[in-house]
Amino acid sequence: MGEFAVETVNLGKQYKIGRRSASRGLHTLYEDLVRSAVTWPRRKAQGATSPTTLWALRGVEFKIRHGEIVGLIGHNGAGKSVLLKILSRITWPTEGMAAIEGKVGSMLEVGAGFHPEFTGRENLYLVGAILGMKMPDIKRQFDAIVDFSGVHEMLDTPVKRYSSGMYVRLAFSVAAHLDCNIMLFDEVIAVGDVDFRKKCLERIRILADEGRTVIFVSHNMETVYDLCPRAIILDSGQLVHDGPTDASILDRYAHFAHQH
Amino acid sequence: MRIDTNNLKRILIKPQSGWVPLNLHELWAYRELLWIFVWRDIQARYKQTAAGITWVVVQPVVTMVVFSLFFGRWLGISSGDVPYPIFTFCALVAWTYFVHAMTVASTSVVGQQSVVSRIYFPRLLMPISAVVGGLIDLFTSLLVLVPLMLFYGFRPGPEIMYLPIFILLAVMTALAVGVWLAAINVYFRDINHAMPFITQLWMFGTPVAYPISVVPEQYRAIYELNPMVAVVEGFRWSLAGQGDLPLRAITVSMVAMFVVLVAGLYWFRRQEIRFADVV
Repeated sequence: MGEFAVETVNLGKQYKIGRRSASRGLHTLYEDLVRSAVTWPRRKAQGATSPTTLWALRGVEFKIRHGEIVGLIGHNGAGKSVLLKILSRITWPTEGMAAIEGKVGSMLEVGAGFHPEFTGRENLYLVGAILGMKMPDIKRQFDAIVDFSGVHEMLDTPVKRYSSGMYVRLAFSVAAHLDCNIMLFDEVIAVGDVDFRKKCLERIRILADEGRTVIFVSHNMETVYDLCPRAIILDSGQLVHDGPTDASILDRYAHFAHQH
Repeated sequence: MRIDTNNLKRILIKPQSGWVPLNLHELWAYRELLWIFVWRDIQARYKQTAAGITWVVVQPVVTMVVFSLFFGRWLGISSGDVPYPIFTFCALVAWTYFVHAMTVASTSVVGQQSVVSRIYFPRLLMPISAVVGGLIDLFTSLLVLVPLMLFYGFRPGPEIMYLPIFILLAVMTALAVGVWLAAINVYFRDINHAMPFITQLWMFGTPVAYPISVVPEQYRAIYELNPMVAVVEGFRWSLAGQGDLPLRAITVSMVAMFVVLVAGLYWFRRQEIRFADVV
């Protein structure tokens, strides 16, 4: 098998915005029909007009070896989440391609898949299964997950009664015990308390030591500096830096921050 | 412990457009998640309700009583040699399941948008788990049929052995309509407003309150295109032994249902790559 866990070639994702933005959100068939009827003469006169579009990601190319920890940084709207969504097959690219070797486990937002009425125990099974764990694996890992999260005494309480801290801890614990060789974490630990954040970073290091590939998205430069030997910076959908995380990267990032 | 990176499957992610294969083997690989979804939906429905699962039987039983009174007694609609309450309840069991399964399936993708936009799994599992989960209701209301038949001293014949076929037909029909509605609902929330109207009209087109003999012979061919005609008649035939086995209706509507189902599955697959962007 190849040496790269993740590989992208000229990867791009385009969204339609502006005039046609309604077609991406809530609207009614009636509105749609009226709009197309009203604008028909104009469209006819202008010929085929293309709606306003936005490249959320364009021309992104990188290669990540098995077992690497890569920090992915960039401002809001830089395309980090879109990139992770493409790699986790939640959304599809508009151009280019990506190749993934193995199984991807992703935690794109804390608590996705949780049911508020369910207890911690029930949610652990539910979310584990949605994230792709098999029942025997969940049973085997159950105690480890609960130990890691430290929510023992609340295990049989509906998660809607959890504090946001407990919620985050349980959610991260499930994701941190997935049996995947590629793991994507999007801003997951930004919300936890300091101790738990430390524990998470430890866990991510262990995952990487075991040979897993980790892509870690964060706004926190220090965390990236600590955890990731390599960093990729995205800006307005473009890859603007890819290299070892050193002191100069802080400056670069500050430089991009300045432009916004 | 080091993980083995030597025998990994390579997945290519490329722009997709047009028709894509159904990928049934992946669906099969995720079958455990199907049961988890079914379990979740059943659990979630009755959390913090006082009457719990009793709600499942209240609807068909009350409808049966009302129908028996209005149609059976006052309007004098003939139910042949079967007592009217049994006649209509057999149909209501199938009909209530269908309406429920179809409605839940229609909101299955939209209702789980937070998961759809964050986690990968075969999207078809959502409408499928909706129609499978509704079977709990169907079996529960079938149990109500037992005291009802005891009360009227009615015993089902050997035809009851064929009931599973008609249950399967009901599931497939609900799925056929459900996948279409679920995918359309992502783009047009009009579906939610249209549902009560659709189900009401559809019930008039299905022999729930009246026997099929009421429909003039020359309209039967069109009438039988409705797959629920075969399902309801099949339930009645197998549970109450009423009428002949509606073979022609079953053939016609199975073909109709199958076309709608296969087209719906492919259409859903074609649309699902945009779900996370649109929903």
